[in-house]
Amino acid sequence: MTTFYLNVIHRPEMVPEYLQKDAEEGKAEDVTRSDVIRESLDIFRTQQRVAHDNDIRTTIQMTYASLFNEEAVAIAKEDHEKYGDEIGSTFLGLQCAQFREKFASKELAIWLFSMADKRRIVDEVFGKFEEVFGFLPTSTGSYYMDAELVNYIKDRYPHVKAAVATCWEEGPKAYHNANNSWYTLLDGGPWNPWIPSRRNIHCPASDADDDIGIVAIPHLSRDLMAVFDGPGSYYGTHPQNILRGMVYEGREIPYFMNIVDQYRAMAKYNRGYAYNMMFVGPGWMSKSGRWEADYDFLLKSYEDGMAYYGRLKKEGKVVDLTMSEFADAYRQDRAYSQPEVTLWKDILYGSKRQQFWFADPSMRFCLDMNQGGAMIDLRPYAAKLIRPCGVGTKHIQDASYPFLVQSLFRAGYFTHYAGEGAVKSCKFVHAGEVVDLCACRTQASFSEDGDTRVVTLDPVEIEFENFTIGVQSIFRLMEGTGEIEITRKIVSSTDPTAEVSIDEYITACYGTTEYPEDLTGVQLKLKGRSGKESIDYEYRCREAAVDGIDSVEAIVPQVDTRLSMRPDAGDVTGYFREGMAFSPMYTLGIKKTVQGTGELRTWLKVEKAS
Amino acid sequence: MAQGRKGKLNYRCPRCLMREIDMDMLFDNEKGEYYCLRCSFFGPEAEVLRVNAEFRDKYLDRATRITDF
Repeated sequence: MTTFYLNVIHRPEMVPEYLQKDAEEGKAEDVTRSDVIRESLDIFRTQQRVAHDNDIRTTIQMTYASLFNEEAVAIAKEDHEKYGDEIGSTFLGLQCAQFREKFASKELAIWLFSMADKRRIVDEVFGKFEEVFGFLPTSTGSYYMDAELVNYIKDRYPHVKAAVATCWEEGPKAYHNANNSWYTLLDGGPWNPWIPSRRNIHCPASDADDDIGIVAIPHLSRDLMAVFDGPGSYYGTHPQNILRGMVYEGREIPYFMNIVDQYRAMAKYNRGYAYNMMFVGPGWMSKSGRWEADYDFLLKSYEDGMAYYGRLKKEGKVVDLTMSEFADAYRQDRAYSQPEVTLWKDILYGSKRQQFWFADPSMRFCLDMNQGGAMIDLRPYAAKLIRPCGVGTKHIQDASYPFLVQSLFRAGYFTHYAGEGAVKSCKFVHAGEVVDLCACRTQASFSEDGDTRVVTLDPVEIEFENFTIGVQSIFRLMEGTGEIEITRKIVSSTDPTAEVSIDEYITACYGTTEYPEDLTGVQLKLKGRSGKESIDYEYRCREAAVDGIDSVEAIVPQVDTRLSMRPDAGDVTGYFREGMAFSPMYTLGIKKTVQGTGELRTWLKVEKAS
Repeated sequence: MAQGRKGKLNYRCPRCLMREIDMDMLFDNEKGEYYCLRCSFFGPEAEVLRVNAEFRDKYLDRATRITDF
């Protein structure tokens, strides 16, 4: 039994984002300018019609500005009555004359206000909503909502059960894509709905005590490969995003259906559950055209997308719920420890590339099969970092959850001439020849063994000067342990007498952007039968090794994280390597020498350090 | 020189697009060409469309319906 849930969300925006700048300059005095309102409401009405024509129910997220518009309110009430649409609230679309009168600010992003202002705005928006509709919303959202904001909402309005809480991988890439002017620096969250931790919205909650009390929904269902290495606003279940990315031929966009179908297929990795969301603001369907597309094409793309959902519904392949209904359904049988996993395949560039994504309360990571299963992203959710954003906080706009490994921001396997990049992989060494699995493209398959998810990679061939070995990697993910078991197995060798060293390593750092952070104070430690070693990071290129290793670890106080590796047997050597200022990384490793065939099994763990 | 104005369909600079930067161009009515404030690209609409088509070339599956997952 599989269930593919769908949330379609619309919002009546009185000043579409594309007119925000005019509004700030007083050129479009929002709710008093009739042509702007008329166009915006027309688009909202059109979106609603297209959904209903395809028998899809929606969640109408009322913007603050729209609460002052009788027509917008009337449409919402009518569609709620007639179609069963949910009327919710959003913190997008705050800006209007009434808002500026009350808050004396042109700020448009709820997460960037000071905490005091966030509280006042929540009370004002929810108060106005109740005044207009006679009840309080049970769903809300924005492009980002930090845990502190959601905690306040839950404290004051405990019936709220769902929120659009992040945009998946909108961080520095989205910022660059927008000519460094779009401040959604929100990398590091899950790609599908989750129950957030009350400490940090990006992290799935560990248990009921940690549960923030809502189900969080990421804005859009995005291409997990293209968006990891490209603009979030090009590749997702948002037809006009796809037009922005120019992923079409003529006026046809099969890519939209391909994304939907790949999300549907996630049911096979997640015990029958799959999810999709579509949320297009009116500004994306401007009558004057947008992103090199005229209005007819903008409209067609929306109609085609919704028609596909409608067809799936007719075939019994999708269940369209409102946000609050979905939150109830999601919580029904979801254990806190259950990970969200998927083996994503390229549907854009024509390659056979696969990437495996995993998120649970301990970590989020990505394995790249184009690099022999190398880990190219690792976020230590176990640390549950309290990291508020907005004016008056340390980070202000940087709302991303920090990584330990992000191979695109911090080089990965390939560096220019010197140093090391952030990646977790394995090297095979014989007589001075070194081959890294990052250089070995392969494919993977997924299976389950009780509560263990297993990613099995097809064997790869490693060619040394005088012989060849076959190597297979297997990742076993034991639910609720916060550990990854990694087996590197030499399954064949053309020279059974040849000795090969298997060197499992992780080169890591920490940060939220491409730019290096200060590693001073990071501790690197080895513990084994033959001794202990420990250093505090000082960029001095020091190295140490201990035989009969029990554990190698890095304590990274800046992100309150302990990163460790342990082996399955004592006849192995552990080591650490300090970096330098030109290579601001630390490396932990465990290595073992085998003759002919053999294997090295290690476990990687991330924990909260304090 | 004439004042640059917003052109139709807010064409982005195709060269900036190649490096995934969305940068709206201005249109010079006198010369009948678009130009970029960031990267020095200039050209008529036909040139914009030609480079845009090049941008799309990387999407080998842009016209392919994929159903095998």
